[in-house]
Amino acid sequence: MERFIGPFERWLITPVVLIAIAIMLYKLLRKIGWRQRQATGLALISPWLVGFIIFTAFPLIYSFYLSFTDYSLFGSPKWIGLSNYIYLFVNDIEFWPSIRLTLLYAAFSVPIGVIGSLLMALLLNRQIKGIGIYRTIYYLPAVIPDAAVALLWRWLFNSESGLLNYILAPLLDIIGVGKPDWFGDPRFVLPAFIIMSVWGIFGTNTVVFLAGLQGVPRSLYEVAEIDGASVWAKFWHITVPQISPVILLQVIMGMIGALQIFTVAMFVRPTSAAGKFMNQLVYERGFTQLHMGEASAVAWVLFAIIFALTLLIFRSTPAWVYYEGEVKR
Amino acid sequence: MKLHKSLANILIYIVITIIAVIVLIPFVWTLSTALKADADIFAWPPQIIPKPAHWENFSKAWNAMPFNKYLSNTIFIVVLGMIAEITSETLVAYGFARFNFPGRDIIFFVLLSTMMLPFHVTLIPTYLIWNKFGLVGEFDPLILRAWTAWGPFYIFLLRQFFMSIPIELDDAAEIDGASPMDTFYRIMLPQIKPALLAVGVFAFKGYWNDFLGPLIYLTDMNKYTMTLGMYFFMGGVNEAPKWNYLMAISIIIAVPTVVLFFLAQRYFIEGITFTGLKEG
Repeated sequence: MERFIGPFERWLITPVVLIAIAIMLYKLLRKIGWRQRQATGLALISPWLVGFIIFTAFPLIYSFYLSFTDYSLFGSPKWIGLSNYIYLFVNDIEFWPSIRLTLLYAAFSVPIGVIGSLLMALLLNRQIKGIGIYRTIYYLPAVIPDAAVALLWRWLFNSESGLLNYILAPLLDIIGVGKPDWFGDPRFVLPAFIIMSVWGIFGTNTVVFLAGLQGVPRSLYEVAEIDGASVWAKFWHITVPQISPVILLQVIMGMIGALQIFTVAMFVRPTSAAGKFMNQLVYERGFTQLHMGEASAVAWVLFAIIFALTLLIFRSTPAWVYYEGEVKR
Repeated sequence: MKLHKSLANILIYIVITIIAVIVLIPFVWTLSTALKADADIFAWPPQIIPKPAHWENFSKAWNAMPFNKYLSNTIFIVVLGMIAEITSETLVAYGFARFNFPGRDIIFFVLLSTMMLPFHVTLIPTYLIWNKFGLVGEFDPLILRAWTAWGPFYIFLLRQFFMSIPIELDDAAEIDGASPMDTFYRIMLPQIKPALLAVGVFAFKGYWNDFLGPLIYLTDMNKYTMTLGMYFFMGGVNEAPKWNYLMAISIIIAVPTVVLFFLAQRYFIEGITFTGLKEG
């Protein structure tokens, strides 16, 4: 029990400090002429601001600085210019393979996830008996902890006695690969992770799409039916444009999530011959080898990739995302 | 027409049943493995129904490592983290939803864009901060930050709920002389109960499953969480895991989130639906 006492006391003191900051801020703002409601608003969000400054803004700048230094937790960071980046891009044998693995994983898993969950939602979006039970079953994968899901798949993919190699045996024999060692072989690690990602079709994404589908006005379909539109035409010209904002959201969140894959990869534990994802590289360089500068550089490359791709997707939205008109309060 | 329709329905039942079976197979396989004797795990072809079922695997796996201790550590983190997170995020969301102050929209935009920021970018400096305070190895890094409303998605969700409450209610309360905090307690909180429940379930799942945090900050075996304990239970890199025990622990670790989900299913889905639609 002793181990809980210190943290619990500090946990009790933290909100007191935050409230004190909020009250001080309120008084200060009132003094400089803000109206009561204005000052209350900023005071209310001040805990977030404090957290943002200490745990997001500062670390963001500091990690950028660290990526140009040599630092091992002992002593102080030593400025070495671009050396970390040059080392990563030119000499490091793990860096490019990890970028490749991470990007390819996202490139396959995101479209599969978005299209798959949309299809699932279309399938479930009907008023038939017992549909509730199916929706519950389909949501089950999203409720299971990542670590447990990863372990389960690692076991399903087991080379010698995994269920997957048993089920796929005829197919694998035709290709002539016997019983592949999915997470130990660089040729199979990507397909293995992609197959695992199909699991993500079920769950939250499907629920969000289902909600999106239920928000499409019935009248649009009725008008189209009078005009004699086919099922396909209705899907392509009504459903897709109407839910395109939801698709955009899913693509962006899916991409950000896929590029940051970590926990699952740590529990599945692909061999180092098979490859590593970028976040695993950050963890390894930083926390097992204590190369904080190099780890920060990897993290910043990942951040740059995510930032660039998000921007690219947003730039493309006028071409394919349909807005009914912004709803403002 | 009628016949055509019922035929289509039968076809749909067949398709969704097949998919449901595919979804359920991994779960059946997990349970089946958890109940197997050591010798039967690697049997080929795989047996689906273990004979006899070794239910004692669950207690053996549980006692193979100090999981009792890990469970109490996890509960400590989950409870304190949830209380801090729900309290702070509700207040912050209320601030964003109901008060107009200079810079609000820019700040909210910044808050939303932090969702894009990879967790690993701020990881190392954050570690260094806790290290400076001498709190690496303690539970603090996992629970104190929760007071600063660190889940942008939940703030967003709660704000959407606040905004769906008619503003006239606030105005009426204000005319009656209620302070903003009175309005918050008496009028807002009762209205957003479903959102609080949804955030509660999400937050529970988040703390219960957290792996990276405990992995980095908890260095003392006595302070490990369930997930971290399970990670080390897998054994070394070149060790073959004991699959029956591992599957048993996996099931145990999954039970609380599954049960909670079923209890709060309605609110949980309502929460996702609400944001999913409004966010687009």
